[in-house]
This record gives sequence, structure tokens and C-alpha cells, in this order.
Amino acid sequence: MKKRRKRCIWAACLLAACLFLTCCGMENSDGKGDADTVLGSGSQVLRILSGSENRELEPILEEFAEEENVRIEMTYQGSLDIMRALGEEEIPYDAVWPASSLWLNAGDTDHRVRHAESISVTPVVFGIRQSLAEQLGFVGREVSVSDLLEAIRSGNLRFCMTSATQSNSGASAYMGFLYALLGNPEMITQEDLEDPQLQEELKELLAGVDRSSGSSDWLKDMFLEGDYDAMVNYECLIISANQELEARGEEPLYVVYPYDGLSLADSPLGYVDQGDGQQEEVFLALQEYLLSADTQNAIQRTGRRSGYTGIAEENRDVFREDWGVQPDRVLSPFRMPDTDVLFACLNLYQTQLKKPSLSVYCLDYSSSMRGEGNEQLVAAMEQLLIQENAARNFLQASENEVNILIPFNDEALAVYTARGNGEELENLYRQVEEQDVGGGTDMYAAAMAGLEELRQYDLSQYTPAIILLTDGQSGGDFQDFQDAWEALGADVPVFSIMFGDADPDQLEQLAEMTNARVFDGRENLTEAFRSVKGYN
Amino acid sequence: MKTKLMGLGILALVIVAAVLYAVLGGGQEVTEITGLVGGEKLGLLEDEQVQDILRDRYHLFLDFNRAGSIEMVQEDTEGRDFLFPSNQTALEIYENVHGNPAQSEIVLNTPIVLYTRRAVAEALVEQGIARQEGEVLYVDMSLLTQCIESDTTWADLGLPQLYGTVAVGTTDPTRSNSGNMFAGLLANTLCGGVADASNIEEVLPRLQSIFQKLGYMESSSSDLFDQFLKTGMGAKPLVAGYESQLLEFAVQNPETWEQVKDDILMMYPTPTVWSSHVFIAVDEAGTAGIEALLDEEVQRLAWEKHGFRTGLYDAPSSIEQFGVPGVAAEITQVAPMPDAATMERIIAALE
Repeated sequence: MKKRRKRCIWAACLLAACLFLTCCGMENSDGKGDADTVLGSGSQVLRILSGSENRELEPILEEFAEEENVRIEMTYQGSLDIMRALGEEEIPYDAVWPASSLWLNAGDTDHRVRHAESISVTPVVFGIRQSLAEQLGFVGREVSVSDLLEAIRSGNLRFCMTSATQSNSGASAYMGFLYALLGNPEMITQEDLEDPQLQEELKELLAGVDRSSGSSDWLKDMFLEGDYDAMVNYECLIISANQELEARGEEPLYVVYPYDGLSLADSPLGYVDQGDGQQEEVFLALQEYLLSADTQNAIQRTGRRSGYTGIAEENRDVFREDWGVQPDRVLSPFRMPDTDVLFACLNLYQTQLKKPSLSVYCLDYSSSMRGEGNEQLVAAMEQLLIQENAARNFLQASENEVNILIPFNDEALAVYTARGNGEELENLYRQVEEQDVGGGTDMYAAAMAGLEELRQYDLSQYTPAIILLTDGQSGGDFQDFQDAWEALGADVPVFSIMFGDADPDQLEQLAEMTNARVFDGRENLTEAFRSVKGYN
Repeated sequence: MKTKLMGLGILALVIVAAVLYAVLGGGQEVTEITGLVGGEKLGLLEDEQVQDILRDRYHLFLDFNRAGSIEMVQEDTEGRDFLFPSNQTALEIYENVHGNPAQSEIVLNTPIVLYTRRAVAEALVEQGIARQEGEVLYVDMSLLTQCIESDTTWADLGLPQLYGTVAVGTTDPTRSNSGNMFAGLLANTLCGGVADASNIEEVLPRLQSIFQKLGYMESSSSDLFDQFLKTGMGAKPLVAGYESQLLEFAVQNPETWEQVKDDILMMYPTPTVWSSHVFIAVDEAGTAGIEALLDEEVQRLAWEKHGFRTGLYDAPSSIEQFGVPGVAAEITQVAPMPDAATMERIIAALE
């Protein structure tokens, strides 16, 4: 029990405190911390942990930030990461904004989230190249998950989706597949999952996945950069991809709503209550702004279903029916199982069903990594390779996956290969730990050694990727690598983790050529490795 | 130079604050008590008018976090002065776990209702599962339960645009009150009376099967209601909630209500059960909350702005003021909830 003085005194003190904080704020307002995007430049900071699909709403958020003199720091993570963050003792954010309330509800066991309200709704759908959709007979009729599965099984449809254990859209799609393969039961049970035939069928199905991703928004970007036929993603992101495709004069995607496997993302924005009344007020102001009629309309123009009364006449040009979008469709989703069964489904996906990953870790052991850099690297790899750690983030290795370690300095120092999820993987970690540090840096040489290793595998059976960590300007030649990559003739992304004094341009160049992305490991290396692993 | 000026400014403000304190402060203290509250009452407790009355007349401030009614009474009460669940069973569970509270009192009431969309309500009336008396819609619980148990699809009821079988969306009965009470209501229906120790075992498997089919459930009534309104007819064709939720929504969001009121309907289960919001003072400090919330004006605001009936049976004042068609002036078809031991049996079976 606490005592409170009368309100007017509070008000005066608060005002004084505000001014004081304003002064302090000015001094350290240039550091942007861990946030991915900073909007506005006000002294009052609102830190939001959000699903990546909300990146598209940044201009709308920025308007609020500027008007209200607030600085909004957006940190983007997958919905499952957001769920885990809510379970931690310390939550270094003022608000959370996952794709679906499912994850908010599962993570917020201590009831620290208040004022959660859905900002907009969007279904998880298939976006299929228009001509292919026509060819498959999916245009102008109701399509079931089984129809899609048949096209996938027969090899006529290959697609990209996010990882079911990292992202809401992937998890939703995967659960939809599960239902359909079980013959659409009333509800999935633990026993259902143990059926070997079901597991076989799912494996076969997931083998049709071309590329994976840890985040829905990046999946869209990757899709636009590459040459793929279809993706599973939010309706709003398919719409935005189509706008881009149309602007380029390319063929748009046709939206297919599987009627027996549909799920909705309700995008709840909730306040993380840490007992700071002022933060709460700013949060509520933001939420009110987002839910106001004007903003809801602006949000609808980004392809999200907002408001209470469906798509407005004036926004029909966004929800284009010639793209297969059905603005008036009654969105009737299947029912998700309870969280215990859901997590069992996700574990099964990670350890048995998903296409096995084939990851080549090229890790920098040049002399600049000596000391703290190396310690951080070893600690980060421990989170991935030691399975009890990995399991906490649904990043366990599967039985058939392959992990290759190539430590490098100015040359590739060795190649160690671990198959499966047992002892070999633990041994790989020992190698990471024991490898000596010293010498110069040539990441291209290491990556080329990685490509050489990949030649020994039937890459269609795996999700291959090179994961490169470096902390300095690299010697060697990009062109040599490019030639080798092209000679391999496979879609192998080179994800890199920027560390120390790495040259962002060199890494971006690799990412751009291989349709991959660069992760920043300078703030938190373990986090960066975890994110990369979520993409593969 | 700028910093110096700023420093002086702060100093001046601190002095102003001190003077204000001396002049106006006196010894008048506001006591802050801390507790947990079911989500459906947040609107009421965050209402500034209510907070002003509490502060000015009772020198009281309620600090609270949201929690499910059943969860909150089972958890450790360390650091909490009060709990404000939404039914009397929660009080009985509290007494079993923690012993007698310092004080407890029912301060608000609201019946459990079903929310739906016009097309669904019309289909239910068409099928004879619901009926309309004047403007008020009533649902026959035993017919509805038969539909659910027999895996009747929405398409069977003439709603092919809806996927799957007929179900009533509820919150998790093991975590939240409206779901818990709806489970009690279903248990009563299955038993053909009021469920008790003598008949509950027989119907538990059926009750489990009904809830098992629902899968994932929200843990808060307010989240479920928000989703009902926003995700549309397809996602939540029929949900259980409190009568107060729609009344409060209509009063608080008149413009939105105007847009959606033709489509959103409330139906009273026959019979229904009362959700009695009981304020449990965990310690002496908490007892101040009871007196304050029973204040006549707070009780009036609770009805007029937040839709809570304060006495049983009659509406405290005109139902027309809400602009919500189909609100029953009096709730007559009510069954008692099963007793706490039976509810605990039900919760255990659904866990």
C-alpha cells in the first residue's frame, strides 16, 4: 500500500520532472539502441516490439510521432519471439504488437499487457502467379487446402513461406496444412500428431517450400527480388507485393483463400505495464490515434482490413478483385488448438517435418576477433548448437539436417561437418570453442569453400544457406565468389552477420547477389545468430 | 548558458510545487490500494468520473492489473489489497485457498449473454433454436447444446459462408470468468437443471468434448469481445460474454455503434446465469474499495456508462438510453450457478 499526495502537487512535480527529462533526453537522444527504426525525434520515447508486417505502417506512425513530439522506436521480431519476450522477467519495451493475439495471450502469463486492441485484420493466404493460378484452375472458384496440396504434391506448385516456428504467417499456414491432411477434424489432438502417415505427407508437402524466412515482411522482399511462383503470406503483403510487381510491369499474384484452412492475424497492440503512468498516456494516445476513423482509413489503404464495417467504397481500388482479392468475403478461419497442442505441432515441424536445413557457418577467426569477439561468437554458437538451448527458441536441429563449420582467417582453415541432431553437433561446438584465433580476413575464400562443400549434396532435398560472420574489411575478391556462386547454379543465400568493423558494403553486395540479408550482430551477437537460424 | 537557464527553470518549478503543496496539500492523503481485476471491468475502473468520486469522497485510488477471475483467486495474493473477480464461485475458491478475506461484497451484476451477427441470429430463429419476444432475442440452451454436440455445421443451419461446425466462442473456462460461467451454464443444460455433485460426473465427458472442440480460447472477456467486433462474422459467429460489454461499447463509442448496430445482436440464453462481480478485500486496506464502489453515484455510472446492473432483476433505469435494441428490461429466466465444489470439478476436468 502506498500513499498519494493530492493531485495538484503531482501535476506540478510531473511538469518539473518532464522538463528535467527533456533536458536529459536531449543529451543522449542520438543513440538509437537496439531499435530497427526510429520515428520522430521527440524526447519522450515509446519502444514497440512489433511483427515485421507493421513496417509498412511506419509512415502512419511517423505522422503521430512528429505531431505529438514522441520518438517511436520500432524493433521488429517474429511473433514467437515476441511471445518469448513477454515471458522474460525484464521486458525492455513499452508496447508489443504481434501479428496475432494468439502469441500475446500465450506469452503474457504474468498479465503485464494491458489495453490490447486489434488494430487491423488480415488473413493468411496463398499468392500465386496469376497465369499459374489460372493453369491450376484456382481462379474464380473456392479452393480447399487439399486442392493446393495436390498441386504441390504433383510438383506443379512450389512456394515460399516463413518458418512455422518463427513467424505467425508460417505457423498459421502450417496448421492449416495439418488440418487438411487430417481430414479437417473438429480439433487436432496430440495423438493425431503421432500418426506416421501424417508426418510423411507433411514432409512431402514441406519439401515443396522453395525458400524460407524468419519474417513475413522480408519474405515479401525476398520474393520480389527472386524468381518464385508463389508465397504464403498476409493478404496485405500480397497486395503490397502486387503494387510493386505492377509498377515494374510484371505479372501480379493471384490471392487464394483456402476456405478450410484460413487463419486471421488480428494485430493486437498492447501496453506493457511497468508502472509508469506517463508512458501509459503516450501509449493510449498512440492507440487512440491508430483507432481513429482517419487513421483506420489510412491503414485500410495499406491493404489491411480495419474498422468495423468492412472495406470502404473509396478503398476498393486497393483490394483489387482482378488480383483475386475478395473484399466482401466472410473470413471464416479454422479453430486453432490450445497452446499445448500448438507447441507440440511446432516442435514436430522443427525437428521432423520441415525441409532439413543445410547450413554452412563461415566464422571469422582472424586476429581482430581475439578476446571478447571470440567469446561472444562461442557464446552465440552455443545457443544454436547445444540443443537444449536451441529448443527454447524452437531452433532445434532435425535428424536430417547438416551443419558445416568453416573457420577462416585469410583462408578457410578447416571444414567440419555434423549430420543430424546428436553427438556430431555437440562436437561441432567443441571445434568452435577450440579453434585458434589469428591472421587476416578473407570471407570470400571461406564462402567459396562453403560452395565447394555444397556441391556434395542434392540441394533440392535441403534448405541450403551460407551463414557468414565477419568483423573486418575483407581481402580477396568478390568477383571470384560471384563466379563460383553462379557456377553452382543454385539458389543459395549468403546471410551475413556484421560484427566489429565489418564493411557493410561488402556484406550488402553478397546479400544482394544471393537474395539474402545482413544481420547486425554488433549490439547482440547471440540475437543475430538466432535470427539468421530462424531464416533457415 | 541554455542549460543554466533550464536549471533555473526547474528550480522555479520545484519552488512552485512546494508552495502549492503548502497551500493546497494539507494532510489530505489519497490511499492507493493494489489488486487484480477481470478485464470486463477496466472501462468502469478507468472512468475518470468514477476515479474522481473515489478520490474526492473516499480518498482512494485503485491500482490494478488485469487477470482472469479464476486465476486471480488461486494465485499468491502477496502485495495485493483486493481482487475483483466476476463471480461468486471465485470467492468460494478464494476462501478454500486463502481462508476468509477481510471482507467481500457483490457490487455489480450482469447476465451472461450470447453475441452474434444478424444473419446468424436469423438462421437460429429460423431453426427454432432462438425466438424473438418483442425486440428481445432468447436462445434455447438445450437446443443450441444439441446442435453443438451433434457437430451440426453452420451450413446445415443455412449459413454456407461460415466454415465448420456450430460452436459458441468463449474465453478459457480455466482462466477467465465468462468462459467459466458459460461452462457452468452448459453443465446445467446437460444436467437438465442445476449441476451438482450428484449429476456432474455423468455429464463431464460431454462437457469436455464441447470445449475440446473449441481448441485455443482467449483468456480475457474483453479481448474476445474486441475480436468479435473486429474480426467479423466469419471468425466469431457466436460468442459468450456479458450483457454489460455491449451496453458499455454502445455508450462509449456512439459513432461506431451507429454504424454496426444493425448487424450486431445480443441474445439471452434461457435460462442464463448472473455474473456477480464480487469485490474481495484481501486485507484491511482493501475494504475501503467496497464502500467506495457501492457509492450511489458510482453505481449509477456503472449502469449508465458501463452497462452493469446493480441490483438483480430490474434495470436500474431506462434501457432506452443505450440505443441498443433488444435489451431485456428484466432478466427473469435465471438459474443459479453450480456450487463451488462442482465448478472446481468442472474446471479440473477442463484443464
